[in-house]
Formats: sequence, C-alpha cells, structure tokens
Amino acid sequence: MLDLFPSREAGPFGRRLKRERGARIPVTVVTGFLGAGKTTLIRRFLQSPDGAGTAVIVNEFGAVGIDDALIRDSAEETVLLGNGCVCCITRTDLQLALRRLVFDRERGTVPPFGRVIIETSGLADPGPILQTFSTDRALGGEFHIDVVLAVVDAVNGRAELESAAEARKQVIFADRLVISKADLATETAVGTLTRRLRVLNPRAAIDIAVAGALEPSHIVEPTTSERSGFVAEAEHGDGIKSFVIVQDQPVDWQIFSRAMETLIALRGADLLRAKGILNVAGCRGPVVVQYVQHLSHPPVELERWPASDDDRVSRLVFITRNIAEGDVTGLFAAVAALAKTQS
Amino acid sequence: MSVAENSPLTKGYQPVIWNFKLLAHDMLAGFGGMGEGMSVQIAPDGRRIIWLAHESAPKNFTAVDVSDPRKPKVVCQTDLPHANMRSNSLETCGNLMAVAYQTSKKNSQPAGFELFDISKPENPKSISFFDCSGPHSRGVHQLWFCDGEYVHCSSGSRDFVPTHPLDDQFYRCIDVRNPSKPVEVGRWWMPGTRQGDNVMPPSRHPIDKGFRAHNCNVYPQRGDRCYLAYIDGGMFVLDISDKANPKKVSSWTNSPPYTGFMHTIVPLFDRGLMLITDESTENNAKDWPKLIWVLDAREETNLVPIATCPLPDPAVYAQAGRFGAHNIHENVPLPTAWHSDQIVLGTFFNGGLRAYDISNPYQPKEVGVFMPPAPPGAPTGTIQMNDVFVDERGIVYAVDRHVGGLYILEMDF
Repeated sequence: MLDLFPSREAGPFGRRLKRERGARIPVTVVTGFLGAGKTTLIRRFLQSPDGAGTAVIVNEFGAVGIDDALIRDSAEETVLLGNGCVCCITRTDLQLALRRLVFDRERGTVPPFGRVIIETSGLADPGPILQTFSTDRALGGEFHIDVVLAVVDAVNGRAELESAAEARKQVIFADRLVISKADLATETAVGTLTRRLRVLNPRAAIDIAVAGALEPSHIVEPTTSERSGFVAEAEHGDGIKSFVIVQDQPVDWQIFSRAMETLIALRGADLLRAKGILNVAGCRGPVVVQYVQHLSHPPVELERWPASDDDRVSRLVFITRNIAEGDVTGLFAAVAALAKTQS
Repeated sequence: MSVAENSPLTKGYQPVIWNFKLLAHDMLAGFGGMGEGMSVQIAPDGRRIIWLAHESAPKNFTAVDVSDPRKPKVVCQTDLPHANMRSNSLETCGNLMAVAYQTSKKNSQPAGFELFDISKPENPKSISFFDCSGPHSRGVHQLWFCDGEYVHCSSGSRDFVPTHPLDDQFYRCIDVRNPSKPVEVGRWWMPGTRQGDNVMPPSRHPIDKGFRAHNCNVYPQRGDRCYLAYIDGGMFVLDISDKANPKKVSSWTNSPPYTGFMHTIVPLFDRGLMLITDESTENNAKDWPKLIWVLDAREETNLVPIATCPLPDPAVYAQAGRFGAHNIHENVPLPTAWHSDQIVLGTFFNGGLRAYDISNPYQPKEVGVFMPPAPPGAPTGTIQMNDVFVDERGIVYAVDRHVGGLYILEMDF
C-alpha cells in the first residue's frame, strides 16, 4: 500500500514493538488430555494475584467448567462454550466468544480484562486454534497467543502419548509442558515421562505442578526457546518432525518471504507451525515471524535485540509433517540462487 | 448509549492499568494538584529533575529528582505570593526556567512570566519578571520556551482591549536572549477579538470559553511557524519568519458543531500529520466529545481531519469530574524529551492516561490505559489526569489535576 505518511521512526514492518505481542491481549492456550489437571491449574492461577483481570474461555466437552464461585466480581469473565471441540466444530464459537469479550469490554459490560486463558477440550488439536489467531481478519489484531501450554498427567500421560496422536500433537505444539499429578506417580515414571516429552518437544520448558499449581509466570510468560535453543531434527511419529534452521548472515527479506510463500503454496497443510526471529537485512531489531499451515502472522520488528542475543543469529523452528529439514534448506538455497542470478 | 445495569462500571470508578507499568507515585508532599507545565532538566550535577507547574495556589512549582524513576524525591516546592493567581505552565531550557503567572482577576499582580536560574534545583533564583498585567489582562496562561531565546505565550497586555472579556489572551513572542531584560518582539490575535479591529467579533459558542490563545508551539523543523491553538477560535498556523509581524497561513476548527476549547497543536513533520487536542472543561462530560484529532497536514493551507483517537463510552465516565481530551505529549524539541510520530500519549481527566498507535493515521488504535485508583482526597472520587510528559528514556510522567501528584510509568507496548 502506498504510504502517504511515511515515518523514519518505523521500520519496514511498521512500528517497532517492545515485545512480540505489542499491545494485543495476551492469550494462554491450555491443552492436555481429559483429567490431566488443566482446570485445577487454571483455578490455582486465577486465585493468585497474577490471575486478576483474566478472562477464561472454557470448552466444556467432558470437562468440569470453571466454578462460578471462582469468578471474581471485577477480575474475570468466563464464557462457557457449548458442547463440542474448540478446535474444529466450535472454532467459530471461539472467535465469537473472544469478539464478544472485546465488544462487551468496550461497552463497559464486562470488567476491563487484560488476559485470556483458553482451556481446550482434551481432544483438541492446537493447530487450528493457532490458525484462528494468525491474521488480523480473524483475531490476530486484538489477541496474541503468548503461551501454548500442555498439561500431561504423570500417571496416565505416558500411555496416552503412545496411544493418541492428539496427545502427541499437543505436546509437540506446546511452548511449555507441565507434568501434573507427579505426587501420585513414582519418581521413575516421572523421569521416563520427562524423557519422552523431551524427545517429542526439545524446545519447550518442562515444569512439574505442585498440588495442581504452577508458578503463575510460567502460565503467562512466553518462553524464549527459539532464541536460545538448538534442536536437532527430531522425528515424533505420525510423520511429524521438528527442526531449527539457523543463519548467521542477515536475512534478505525478499528471498526469505518468497521461499516461505513457495513452501506454503506447495505444502502449507504440512507446515504445522514455524516460528522464529530473524536478523533481517536493514532492520534494527529482530523480526519475529510465525506461520501456521497456510497462514502467516504479520511480521513484527522488535525495538531491540535482547542483550543475551548479541550474536544476532536468525533462528526458525519448524514443526512439519513429512517435510524434512533438507527439503526446506534446499528450497531456501534454490530461491536465493535464483534471486542472485536474476540480475 | 446506556451501560448495562449489571456493569461493574456502574458501581463506580474502576482503575485500569493496561500496557503501562507503574514505577512510582508521589503525592508531592500533599500538594498534588498539578497544572499543565512539565519539563525535564539535567542539572549541572547530573541529576535528572522534572519541574512541575501547579494547577492552583498555594504552590507555584515543584521540582522532583527522577534520576531513579522508581524513587522520585521532591527537592524544591515554592509558594505563590497570594491565592488569587496560578502558575499553570512552565518550561525549562538548560538551566533557565520560564513560569507563567495568571491572576484570577484582571488588573492584578503578578501577571506575566518569571525567569529563573535553576542551576541549583533546590534553590531557584529569579532572574527577571516580564509584566503582562493591565486593566483587561490576567497575564500569561501558557508558554512555550525551548530554544533559550524566545518565549511564545498566550498572554494579555496593558494595551490590549478585547471585544469580549473572555478574549483577553493572545499570542505574544518575547525575546529573552538577555534573560534579565525580556522584550516583546511580536504579537498576533484573532481578527475581531480586539477593539478597533476592522472585522466583526466572532460569534460566541453555546458553551462560551473565549476566543483566546492557548498553546503556541514552535519547533526547529519549521522555526518559521507557530502552531497556535485558540480555544473557541480553533487553531491557526502562523508564519513567524518575521517575528515582529506574524501572519496567518491557515486555520482549522471543529466548532460548531463541536464545543470549542482547542488546546494543543503538535505537528508530526516527517509524516505530514498534525495532532490537535480539545480540552474538556465541563464536569460530567457535558461538553462531550472532546477528542484528539489527527489531521492530514501535507498541505499546510488545506488541513484535512482524517481521524480521532477513540475513547470509551462517555456514559461510563460521565459520573464524576471531567472526561475527555486535554494535554498530549508534545515532542518538545529538547534532548530530554521523547519524540515519536507513531505513538500519541494523552490525558483525559477521569479517562486517565491513554496511549494510541497512529502508525496507520486513519485508524488510531488504543494501546495503553492508565487509570489509577482515585488518589486519597480526590474530590471527584476518580483520577483527573491533567498532563503528560515523556523523557528521552521513554519514562512517562503524568499528573493529576486535583490531589494525586505525580505518576511515573513505563510504556509496555
């Protein structure tokens, strides 16, 4: 779009933000199988000082809704969706629920909330939920997913991971993993589960809930794993792979975006999630990019690189289905070579 | 639009902190009723001092050491000579400070502005007083002083007889290059507001606040322009390349149908935009809507309003005190001030402090709100946020009009 009012203060991706979500409302998506302890975890968070001003959206499928007694006068608004899975049939309901929250807040009919927690049903596939937040046209203009958290039961979780593809996917997509009911399992069982989780998702922080509760910041603060961790290509079963592409040299945005467009055009359905920070040539701060299948989040340039990130290396984590790391790096190399020879 | 009966907001004032972090709050030794003068000085000893004008007597100005924004410390607080005056506005430039004095009645003293040497913040020393009193004058309401050379102010004068008693203050430019002997070099008033003008006086507005000058901002990017708000007269762009003979370049007003009291003009030079604020002056939002306007100013002789910064439902806020726009951070051209053409920060009385992203100027978007709990003793039972200043570190200072004093914040967006 022709910019009639250009600003030297803005970068190529618009206003530089202090953090990835800018001013958008932070969202924590809590996944986990039936009985894993999601509701308990959320309840305990709401009871903590950090839980004030939180709106909770609960998918009721087979789970106990948040008790009305827990809804504080001025802090939370709970929207109970109808039966069904948030991830598919009720995805529209999720959008409506979130839009209604914003609308009611503007009208003054719900208290001014500053955070949303979405408790998904046990069978939820987090992918479509993430898609819902990808674009401004949907919810991306108002909300930003800060944390995708998966709760795994220490007693039954190991078996569920083996038997249910949805459970594996929840773990693979998560930014944070929480082992619940550790006090009911043996130390050995917890250790085995932790190792299995680490294999499935080497990027995510793993916490152990104590009496159903977790340090509140671990429920709401985004992790920075893309910035620091190195992940070797890992095969998770179901054809799902995760790997990290690292580039020392500044990224040419035109080449990068063309390569991603090609990847999405050819294999968007199998690009389950890609997220990372790029050192884009010409940009002062790191550029955060995120893709969920066919949708890409608008890129965001941050004001500055973290002090701990003085090497300014670009890192992009991919979670794919039947797309190998070599396929992606080969695509990037081919696009770069074609662009180079164009002139 | 009415608020639902079960709305928690109908139960009373609800504090909101959204995308701001409160670093500190200082009630300023019990004298926390603050005006619209805020300026940051780096003192010769390296301390960072914010100078604050008071809304009304008994205090004149207060200096606060904000070197550590989490631990503000009042280092100086001065008294006015009497209760029938106020020093609503001040500016600093290096170790010089100009303070506006406005009396409640005409033909009173001291009406004008005073220059201080503030090289020792604990002990400001008066250098001179520029008298603006007169039979039809209340003195100076607001001043602009950023280059160390000229004070641009909204002022009356001994020789100015307005056509209406409310139209007593006009634009004056005072040379203070010799700070001990300020000299007027130029003036401009809206035609029709001075007796003897060859045009008819302007028609009064239903809520009549006067056709007189308010903020008169001058920026080095266009040193030949003064951006003059004229309350019920709208705004004017003046050519001041010849300071002795300011000339009107263009003007714009929203009133009627709006309710006047245009307050501040902030040009965003790089972007060809202009921000214009009204001031809410009536309790219970009787003068609603009072807004921050965004104008396309690429052609300065044809200013085009393209957007306003959105405000919440006035019904929610029209319960106590004022609600609506007032001051905004003005990108004061000093090294101690933050400069942005992407973010607008404004104070809205009981609507608190609000921040807007104007990266798309056609669709300003609210990105932050700070409505603290009503300070102890607040007569309206709410905050009445009056003014805001952001230093070059991005630290935000906001003041309450009645009792709340100084709030120090970080932007978090």
